[in-house]
Amino acid sequence: MDRRTVLKGLAGAGGLALTGFAAPAIAQGASARTLRFVPQANLANFDPIWGTQYVVRNAAAMVWDTLYGIDDKFVPQRQMVESEEVSSDGLTWTFKLRPGLKFHDGEPVLAKDVVASLTRWSARDPMGLMLKAIQNELTAVDDKTFKWVLKQPYPKMLFALGKGNAPCAFVMPERIAQTDPFKQMSEYVGSGPFKFAKGEWVPGAKAVFEKFADYVPRDEKPVWLAGGKKVLVDRVEWVIMPDPATAAAALQNGEVDWWENPITDLVPVLKGNKNIGVDIGDPLGNVGSFRMNHLHAPFNNVKARQAILMALSQEDYMRALVGDENALWKPLPGFFTPDTPLYTEAGGEILKGKRDFAGAKKLLEEAGYKGEPITCVVAQDQPITKAFGDVTADLLKKLGMTVDFVATDWGTVGARRAQKTPPSQGGWHMFHTWHAGADCINPAAYTALRANGDKAWFGWPTSEKVETEITNWFNAKSLDEEKTVAARINKAALEDVVFAPTGFFLGYTAWRKNVSGVTKGPIPLFWGVSKTA
Amino acid sequence: MLSYALRRVLSTLPVMAIVALFVFSLLYIAPGDPAVVIAGDQASPADVERIRANLGLDQPFLVQFGSWVWRLLHFDLGTSIFTNLPVAAMIAQRIEPTLSLMMVTLVLTILIAVPLGVIAAWKAGTWIDRVIMAFAVFGFSVPVFVVGYILAYVFALKFDLLPVQGYTPLAQGFWPWLQNLILPAVALGCVYIALIARITRAAMLEVLQQDYIRTARAKGLGQGGILFIHALKNAAVPIVTVVGIGIALLIGGAVVTESVFAIPGLGRLTIDAILRRDYPVIQGIVLLFSFVYVLVNLLIDITYTLVDPRIRY
Repeated sequence: MDRRTVLKGLAGAGGLALTGFAAPAIAQGASARTLRFVPQANLANFDPIWGTQYVVRNAAAMVWDTLYGIDDKFVPQRQMVESEEVSSDGLTWTFKLRPGLKFHDGEPVLAKDVVASLTRWSARDPMGLMLKAIQNELTAVDDKTFKWVLKQPYPKMLFALGKGNAPCAFVMPERIAQTDPFKQMSEYVGSGPFKFAKGEWVPGAKAVFEKFADYVPRDEKPVWLAGGKKVLVDRVEWVIMPDPATAAAALQNGEVDWWENPITDLVPVLKGNKNIGVDIGDPLGNVGSFRMNHLHAPFNNVKARQAILMALSQEDYMRALVGDENALWKPLPGFFTPDTPLYTEAGGEILKGKRDFAGAKKLLEEAGYKGEPITCVVAQDQPITKAFGDVTADLLKKLGMTVDFVATDWGTVGARRAQKTPPSQGGWHMFHTWHAGADCINPAAYTALRANGDKAWFGWPTSEKVETEITNWFNAKSLDEEKTVAARINKAALEDVVFAPTGFFLGYTAWRKNVSGVTKGPIPLFWGVSKTA
Repeated sequence: MLSYALRRVLSTLPVMAIVALFVFSLLYIAPGDPAVVIAGDQASPADVERIRANLGLDQPFLVQFGSWVWRLLHFDLGTSIFTNLPVAAMIAQRIEPTLSLMMVTLVLTILIAVPLGVIAAWKAGTWIDRVIMAFAVFGFSVPVFVVGYILAYVFALKFDLLPVQGYTPLAQGFWPWLQNLILPAVALGCVYIALIARITRAAMLEVLQQDYIRTARAKGLGQGGILFIHALKNAAVPIVTVVGIGIALLIGGAVVTESVFAIPGLGRLTIDAILRRDYPVIQGIVLLFSFVYVLVNLLIDITYTLVDPRIRY
């Protein structure tokens, strides 16, 4: 009997569980007003500008509000802002805050708070950095109005202020926002629909968010990060569960109400339980990545990188991850998230059809590869990278490459991938990761697609074509123009192989059926969610 | 005795110092970088570098070590890199669940293992002995997480008698506290029950061969009195030693058990800190565990004098 069998057995037993749960810790009424949620990871810190992990961003979206919010059409809608005005030359943006905005400490949200918050955010966010680079001034005009004066037009301004990609442009009180963006703040006061109960926070075990009674939601229907964020429970308790089988059992037993990301192995068991609803959680899913080091042979030669694309079977990678669940994956002959406006397959032929091992071997030979060991740094503690790593080892061997498989943990991969030294001296040839589909809907937050050499993401790809087109995208003034540019980016990035996409995959979310209002979104959305006893 | 205890307590200081240096050095040379984890996947190398500098992780080894020792001398374990909370406060948050788990496990272990060992020795060679020893083999062989899952399946999911996971502080009532600990304590205790039962059996078998036992029997003493008063007391030294070692081993076992049963104790804190490379937390916990280990050994030595009057320090 292996561990996975035991996991399944345990989880499956939930179907036989009798109703009720021995001696609940809280009374029935209070229980119905408390939503117990199992998040994807531990909330180890809570500064969404300093730490940009997805789990921090997700929790932060409950506590801090943003000026704009992205809806399901990827259009930024007003959130804290009542109105905005841009000068005819596109250089001066004037924003007015809506009335009734209040921080959790009772103080009103003022323009000076927004200015300080945007200053801190723009030191860390890729779009913020672009804005900062062309900024003339960012000032508070009065308590409710602030002005951003630029040296050149920035058509993506509203998207930058409303995007859900970490770090989001969260608004904090001025005194907190003045914290060095590279240092962690210690006060967690926002103006969002929930207050963070710092006194109940046990990092690694529990985080509690209480309904903020003074929050004034917008009147519009809530859609993702836009619209009225009406809170229908008193408390949301995040219960950290490192073991998926325990989370599955706890969900079946009614000890928790909502599990953000059940592992695929356990989903059939959850689906078989009449008290549990299961559906795709984040429709934007994830993009798998085979990241090569462009600094060292053989992958410093584009032919070697193309050889990988030519031989790589995305289906192999996806099946290793999601098994037979066809609804959970799609081939991805490109870089942008499927079913989003900029999705394109331009130049994607190399990833389609029968895999060409002979052609790939020939390219490797032309690239001068002579059997040197290829250092594959693979995190074994992440199911996604572990699954990908096994497929890659097999792929490289089939290509006649010598594999130096470094099985390690994610923390070590994180440190090692920053090393530019040759692989034999502590560097690397390739590693696996994945990118949230929400980050891959356009080039704005798609750091992994950048190809500006030394300034690029790990692997340090250089491609003038890609960089030129990304600049063109930022300057595009219509969606049609953006689509045309995105097709050129996709083609150029595949030609130069910025990285090798291993496929598009989705994940489930699961909740007790006495919970209603769970909706699909790029992050777990707690407004509009209610619970009955 | 008092001066002996004092000497032993003082002798922990150099041990702790060596442990501190060893742990700090090990973490320094270990791969991994908390700044990378903090910065997130989208961060640029420059961002990571700046965070590292702000955390002081770019300083030379001696500077970092010196600063840590200086704080330690002021009874300050430092601040977690990730949570920005004092390490002492984080340990304080987590110590009750772990102590509770260890205590319940220990009580359960002794209450089950010692009688089992005594009975196995008394009935040595019979089917009762074989059944008990077969259980001991099972206890040794099956990993804690498997026992944990099976117990949760039977007692939590199938019969709905106990919760699957979590921890309720003792302040909220004895039964809510205990019901969260029964399954993890049994899971964690299995291997120690097996170990102590076997040691008890071996020690008892030796004692039961002694002349004074035969004399006691000849005098007409009852079996219970012979086994549990005369024999067990004389077999106690090796049993106490193993119980003591068991306490130290429980610390390791708690890591897995706390993960399986989602108990927010020191074991999980350790794992989380290691995976994230939260150096101050790792160092604080290891120091605490080392201190507990030394203390447990001292308590065992003192217990020897209680069970065997011939032992004096």
